[in-house]
Amino acid sequence: MSAFDPKKLRATVLRMAYAGSSVHIACAFSIIEILAVLYRAHLYLGDNPATAPDRDYLVLSKGHGVMAQYACLHELGLVSDDDVNHYFGNGTRLKGLSDAHVPGLEVSSGSLGHGLSVGVGLAMAAQRQRTRQRCFALIGDGEMNEGAIWEALLFAAHFQLANLMVIVDANAFQAMGSTREVMDLGSIAAKLTAFGFLTHEVDGHDERALDRAFTDLLRAPSRRPRGLIANTVKGKGVSFMEADNRWHYSRLDAQTYAAALAELAA
Amino acid sequence: MDRWNDMRNAFANALIRAARDDERIVLLTGDHGYSLFDEFRRACPAQYLNAGVAEQNMVGVAAGLAKGGLRPVVYGLSSFVPIRVLEQIKLDVCYEELPVIFIGDGAGVVYSTLGSSHQSTEDVAVLRALPHMSILSPADAAEMTACMKLALSATGPVYLRMGKADLGHVHQAVPEIQWGELCRPRSGDGPLAWIATGSMVKPSLEAAHRWPESSVWSAPSLKPLHVDAIAEICRQHQAIVVLEEHSIHGGLGSAIAEIAAECAPTWICRIGVADRFSRYCGSYQYLLTEHGLNTEAIIHRVTAFLARTSRSTLAAA
Repeated sequence: MSAFDPKKLRATVLRMAYAGSSVHIACAFSIIEILAVLYRAHLYLGDNPATAPDRDYLVLSKGHGVMAQYACLHELGLVSDDDVNHYFGNGTRLKGLSDAHVPGLEVSSGSLGHGLSVGVGLAMAAQRQRTRQRCFALIGDGEMNEGAIWEALLFAAHFQLANLMVIVDANAFQAMGSTREVMDLGSIAAKLTAFGFLTHEVDGHDERALDRAFTDLLRAPSRRPRGLIANTVKGKGVSFMEADNRWHYSRLDAQTYAAALAELAA
Repeated sequence: MDRWNDMRNAFANALIRAARDDERIVLLTGDHGYSLFDEFRRACPAQYLNAGVAEQNMVGVAAGLAKGGLRPVVYGLSSFVPIRVLEQIKLDVCYEELPVIFIGDGAGVVYSTLGSSHQSTEDVAVLRALPHMSILSPADAAEMTACMKLALSATGPVYLRMGKADLGHVHQAVPEIQWGELCRPRSGDGPLAWIATGSMVKPSLEAAHRWPESSVWSAPSLKPLHVDAIAEICRQHQAIVVLEEHSIHGGLGSAIAEIAAECAPTWICRIGVADRFSRYCGSYQYLLTEHGLNTEAIIHRVTAFLARTSRSTLAAA
């Protein structure tokens, strides 16, 4: 089994979600392959994934998917079995949204539209200090309702932050419905391109395609910031959760937990 | 050159000196500060960054720059920084205790002709409630120089409130200012004390002539505020008048009253902007008068306050 195996990561998410009776399972499942490929092959983490001063930054701006990142940090040893098994227990440190006080998480998000700007600042700090660091900022398509996202995109293109990659988890849902119903975004790729980004679009669950897209974008000789639209399925990996927005909010019970785990083990 | 320019020049000069010494300092502005930064741009062009009319992103970027090892100074009008970007300041900067300096220019009713969008009388109140945030409010160019020194040496977030200070110099020389401490531009051994901040220090000094034995304190550091020092002033005086060009809710007057109530109860008169917006426009002096913050109105308020406290010796003094 390769490192950051998506099935194993999803199983870790399920263990946490069941232990903590957590919502946001589907939000985490749509970004599993994106994070897996980044951690496995593209993020440079130096001698310590949380503190190495020369590390690449992975900014989870869509903080609602944080269980997916906890699962990756579990693989890296920054999140323990105890953390997983006692998720949301009294006095525990892992919260239900990305929190910069947790080693391995770069920003506090969950109030949407914050992380991308902080990521833009991190990319700019690296550029000004002429380090080789890159910043990968993962935002949600629902999050793109926030005006601050568009401010950050304008800024990143204007200042030619070529070491910034904005990855859009385009799962086509937000909290209360499909993005088309709630606030139709039209073509995200066309918008990013129009904003001055070097933009690719990819199947966000195809690891090979993701790997190739990251490589191509990172290698491209361009001064433009990079944009990757990852078309994903909310709840991906468990049949009864896929594209069913109830799993933005639903909690696992013993039956659904067992059924979901069984699917992943199959 | 008017004295407001004195204070703004003191700010700009302190920033240029610091930026020349430390290339990590980056000035961000949300497309504001016309002419204020001409010299800074000439002296340190690579450290000047116009983030456009996009304050939310500007503050998030400042947080990222600070996390990445730089020392951002975010300049804006106090009605936009901090009010419009309060959540970014809370979550992106304060939660991580990042060394970001926020300059809120034109605080109070300085933009007297532009109406409520450009006036801010709530900035101190909202920031006092944010953990890790320090707040400075200089009264003149000399205090500004001292405050910039404090702000630039801070390890966490600082808000520097820059109100209008063309009402006259308070200090003859740059005072030694420490976090939380007051300075005393007028000493007296009477039972009445004045504690003022920013633009209201000078009117306090003028009004204090009516009570020749009263002492006047300036509070350039609004947070932290040394509880023991304030409590001692409360103990030594029968009545305290607090003045600020800010809402009477949540600013210096509230802070002093909180300390007095807990540590050393005494009579406190909070003079500032009442729970209302400016109704009309006009000159800065006109707006101060509308809000009862001109010297005459202050004397009238304090006279009535002292009468109400039933301390006839004070009222007659």
